[in-house]
Amino acid sequence: MDFDAIVIGGGHAGIEASLALARLDFSTLLITQNIDTIGKLSCNPAVGGLSKGNIVREIDALGGEMAHLIDHTMIQFRMLNKSRGPAVQAPRAQADKFAYSALAKYTLEHQKNLHLFQDTVTDFILSSDSHSIEGVITERNMRFTARAVVLTTGTFMEGRIFIGPYSKVSGRIGEPAAEGLGVSLRRMGFDVGRLKTGTPARVKKSSLDYDKMEMQPGDEEVLQFSFFGEKVVRPKVPCWITYTNEKTHQIIRDNFHRSPLFSGMIVGTGPRYCPSIEDKVKRFPDRPRHQIFVEPEGLESEEMYLNGISSSLPEEVQNQFLHTLPGLEHVEVVRPGYAVEYDYLNPLQLYPSLMTKRLKGLFIAGQTNGTSGYEEAGCQGLMAGINAAMYLQGKSPLVLSRTEAYIGVLIDDLVTLGTKEPYRMFTSRAEHRLSLRHDTADFRLLEKGYEAGLVCDEIHQQFVEKRTKIDEVKELLIQRHLGAKELEKVEQEELVSTLRHHIGKTFDQIIRDPEVRLDQLLSLDPSIGDGVRKEWLDQIELDLKYDGYIARQERQNSRVERMEKLRIPEGFDYDAVESLSAESRLKFKQVLPATLGQASRISGVRTSDIAILMIHLGKKNGSTAD
Amino acid sequence: MKHGYDTEELIAALATPWGESALAVIRTSGTGSVEKIASIFKGNKDITKLPGYSLAFGMLRDGDKAVDQVVLGIYRAPKSYTGEDMVEIFCHGSLPGIQAVMELLHKAGFRDAQPGEFTLRSFLNGKVDLTKAEAVNELILSKSRQAQVLALDRLSGSIFDAIDRAKHLLADIMAAVEIQLDYAEDEADPAAGFDMDKLDQASDILSRLAATYQVGKLYKEGIRIALAGRTNAGKSKLFNLFLKEDRSIVSDIRGTTRDYIESSVAVKGIPAVLIDTAGLRTSSDPVEAEGIRRSNLVIENADIILYLVDGSEGLTPEDRTFIKEHPCIPLWNKTDIAREAAPDGFIPISAVTGAGFGELEELIYTKAMGNGRLDTGEAVIDSQRQKDLIERSLDAIGKVRIGMAAQMPLDVVAVDLEEAVDALGELTGEITSSDILENMFSHFCVGK
Repeated sequence: MDFDAIVIGGGHAGIEASLALARLDFSTLLITQNIDTIGKLSCNPAVGGLSKGNIVREIDALGGEMAHLIDHTMIQFRMLNKSRGPAVQAPRAQADKFAYSALAKYTLEHQKNLHLFQDTVTDFILSSDSHSIEGVITERNMRFTARAVVLTTGTFMEGRIFIGPYSKVSGRIGEPAAEGLGVSLRRMGFDVGRLKTGTPARVKKSSLDYDKMEMQPGDEEVLQFSFFGEKVVRPKVPCWITYTNEKTHQIIRDNFHRSPLFSGMIVGTGPRYCPSIEDKVKRFPDRPRHQIFVEPEGLESEEMYLNGISSSLPEEVQNQFLHTLPGLEHVEVVRPGYAVEYDYLNPLQLYPSLMTKRLKGLFIAGQTNGTSGYEEAGCQGLMAGINAAMYLQGKSPLVLSRTEAYIGVLIDDLVTLGTKEPYRMFTSRAEHRLSLRHDTADFRLLEKGYEAGLVCDEIHQQFVEKRTKIDEVKELLIQRHLGAKELEKVEQEELVSTLRHHIGKTFDQIIRDPEVRLDQLLSLDPSIGDGVRKEWLDQIELDLKYDGYIARQERQNSRVERMEKLRIPEGFDYDAVESLSAESRLKFKQVLPATLGQASRISGVRTSDIAILMIHLGKKNGSTAD
Repeated sequence: MKHGYDTEELIAALATPWGESALAVIRTSGTGSVEKIASIFKGNKDITKLPGYSLAFGMLRDGDKAVDQVVLGIYRAPKSYTGEDMVEIFCHGSLPGIQAVMELLHKAGFRDAQPGEFTLRSFLNGKVDLTKAEAVNELILSKSRQAQVLALDRLSGSIFDAIDRAKHLLADIMAAVEIQLDYAEDEADPAAGFDMDKLDQASDILSRLAATYQVGKLYKEGIRIALAGRTNAGKSKLFNLFLKEDRSIVSDIRGTTRDYIESSVAVKGIPAVLIDTAGLRTSSDPVEAEGIRRSNLVIENADIILYLVDGSEGLTPEDRTFIKEHPCIPLWNKTDIAREAAPDGFIPISAVTGAGFGELEELIYTKAMGNGRLDTGEAVIDSQRQKDLIERSLDAIGKVRIGMAAQMPLDVVAVDLEEAVDALGELTGEITSSDILENMFSHFCVGK
């Protein structure tokens, strides 16, 4: 074998997969169509957001790279949804796209065991029995062998872009698609479908009138995504807000017939949560306006990104309606918006390890599995990389549960339910979201990253210290009682009247009162929080305040965990279980669930069939009469 | 979220048939079941200290209230049917009594066992052999299918619609809340707000439903059987046949039964309230006219109407009209002296000789048991489970209200909202997160 592993594609999934494999000491080849587009942010110039910011921090806790990349290249930071509760707060940062991509390339180039090569993979080399993968063949007819291959093609596999009547085989505008691979996969029997996504126009910064738009600055206080990364000071650049109006909508309506979306040229399903402007105007005719964010693409770039107005209408139509937006009267378009349609693989064909059921050693990650978003892609790349490494060592895969990570929710949804539209993470997809706060990702996952070998000793040590410190503070809060005399020293009257009800209680009990803040209590006894970082104190406060709700979710979690422990052996013969209903049997055979828990989440499976499975599994495990 | 068979929960079920008898046995199982029963039991021994295979005698209590005098059989894991700690409760076999004990158990934290669940646990704990487990397969399969059909039947029509309406109102609110949780402040559709009106509507629907619950309506009060027919059709004679005692004035003068008379009887073990109504005819006597008016009310509210036709006189136009307008069991009475045989669809019977009475009882029994709930026209919930779930939902709605009033963070309010939807989902079908997302995308304009 030429290498231990090959990663196809240099996007957000490919970066994480190749770094994980190389860092776990496997000689790894990353093949990408263009070395200069590694880590490109193809769509919006931002990383993070609701649930996505949590995923970035989960990647960091497991030893992935995305958090470092954004920490070093952000040009604005915001903590979203501060007013709506801790479980759904999340960090988001505007990225300098060019710096981000350059840093990603630099990081890969300097990684030991990792080799980069520019070419396009068109086919696979299989073992003689066709059950395992053994390598890849490229467009230029190069052959590389390896026991594990991670496929991360993004929008490039048989990609085609659309702008009005114009259409071209392309993965991104100006970049050729990866042709041949989709055909090979179909030939091998994979279920391949088409999805669609879109991106808005980029316009010239100096052609805009900023007086007519609202400025949207970032937060003063910046929280880095990486838990233990070095502190970085980054510039802060604002974004701008403008709105569409009736004129804009009229132009769009007049040209509906020229949209490839409505004319039937595009067959792939697009994301409902991120509709194009023509979709918004068509589906919500009563809305007088739609909000548009104008975001810088980078510090050194003249390009601005128009978030909220993606379109595949003809260029002259795009030009016309953009001019109706306040501030964009004299707009100069640098790149038009377009739609892109691409091949994806039905993720029901994967095990929770992200290895295909059909071909041993072939792992698939990212947009190829029907997801959308950099963060969704990155975390799959990381898990595919880790599990390819596990596969090479003959170890059992690392599968995260729904109760411990958004990553677990994402992969479980994909391999259990499949997807027919681009899958984006939402907090509402996670039934345990109160336990999946971004600030607890290290508590949830860092030990797993350490065990897998991706988190180094130094970081692990820092984590252990943090955990110890937090436990200490929590213990101190339990022991400390509020005395009547202490209140005499407090000056704020409101605080005194609130705290008066709590005399004699412990600080741990008092903090559960929604009206009381931890910093107020600590002002009575600063020694408790001495030398503890602010974000750790925030974490303690949230842990305690939401303890009741979290406990409630944890009871549900333990129920789920029990079901997850009941493993269904590989090769389990569903046909041998006579009493299963026909519908459930069919679904079990398609999904091949790894655990009873996963089986119970398949849509439309009956409780009675789960009970029957439980009985048969019990039988297999040999539990008989005492 | 699917609940299914959770082997960690405490379960209870009546092990003897549902009917009047001297004794009934209720079986409970699960880790901690002995301690749980101990908390509602006051007797001659502290059962938590008893070894397996021992008995205790005492009173089951709901706080200060005595519920039933019982004997408890204690089993200790693994030496029990299920392999877990078990308590068997020997209680009095009256239906209201059994109902009261089951309610007390629910209150204490036991849930109703699902079909085959005791045996399932027994298998999982290695207590039954494989041949027996195969049989359990069949049992679970057939029973749960039947149960699914039954559950749907039970909720057919107006109750299902009402619960489903409430559930969808809540799901709409949830979608609007989730939009705000899934999109940043500046991105969420400004049209998405918390709709207090919808919450009120949902809670109104549910409160009204919960109020219709009469504890074990069918079993505690019994099914309501009304005897109707023209005067002198033999209603009172049939009534007495049911009673086997002279409670009603039986005479040959028309219009003797001026008001209605009711009495509790058992029809093949099922408790029933039998109501003898005034004869149906117009009368100038104001007292009798009032009796007839009341009789009509009774007939409207009955679960089963037995309509008697005097076979010796044949069908009159009045009879035809009544049978056409009311869902009833038509009886062809006085077969001992009738000139013609009973027409199609009529049950031939003689209230005097008792001929055909057995068949009639059989038919009433099938009607009462066969379809679960009897069609009373009004939406009434009649199972403890329905009531519990509706109340769980109402309870969660109350918490949502408090949360909104106290300006609690939305993600916390969402937990209670989800609970409210989930509880109803167990009655009319689960609402999944993709249903909510679907709702979000179809009602709100989101996404940058």
